[in-house]
Amino acid sequence: MSTVAASAIKKIVVACDAGMGSSVMLAGHLKRQLKNHGVVVEHAPVSAIPDDADLILTNIGLADRVRASAPDKPVVAFQIFLGDPAVEKVVKAIKEGGAIDV
Amino acid sequence: MSETRDGLLAERAVRIGVQAADKDAAVRACGELLVEIGAVEDGYVAAMLVREQEISTYMGEGVAIPHGTNAGRALVLRDALAVIRFAEPVDWGDGAQVVLCVGIAAVGEGHLDILADLAEVLLDPERAEALRSATEIKDLIRLLESDGEVEATA
Repeated sequence: MSTVAASAIKKIVVACDAGMGSSVMLAGHLKRQLKNHGVVVEHAPVSAIPDDADLILTNIGLADRVRASAPDKPVVAFQIFLGDPAVEKVVKAIKEGGAIDV
Repeated sequence: MSETRDGLLAERAVRIGVQAADKDAAVRACGELLVEIGAVEDGYVAAMLVREQEISTYMGEGVAIPHGTNAGRALVLRDALAVIRFAEPVDWGDGAQVVLCVGIAAVGEGHLDILADLAEVLLDPERAEALRSATEIKDLIRLLESDGEVEATA
């Protein structure tokens, strides 16, 4: 496990298989929470993660596929789409500064 | 804003009191409603069942958001949502009981705002309860579309 400085994060990508449902919901929710903090939030299929993503959020069941698809990107895995402690920590770190465990 | 959303979630795409014996039947009911309103081709229903088996779309607070796979995206004719409130809670596995499904057909990003609204409803236990217990189609739609403005001024 390593850490990423929250200040280095300009783009978060929520990765999921279809990029149609739950990842869109989470991306939309995070976009609203982080819109005043200079962070772009997008969603993308696991197989098409943008090169300029600074941090990837994904369901724990997809984490291995994400790491294989984007081996050099920091990944935070979550278990539930809304209110997951791992995601809340990312939001808090970006709002208040600090490091994110990945 | 509301024009776009009216297009996404029409009154005729909302059903209250639907019977579903299990999760598959519930997902199929959502898919068939999307077919009925002309949002997807028939084959999309199977893609929704596949997606639900891979990873549950249960979002918490008795709500699931079934949708197709990436491969099933080609079967989407237009972005639309379909909402079903079931007559009885449906066992969704892992202890989850689903009362309300928001079926999703999407090619683009048009539904991002309404899903972000739904996320806020689900993170607010009182509004989530109001959503689960709504008995009128108009009330359901209003609850799903209510919050963008509040967040914008927060």
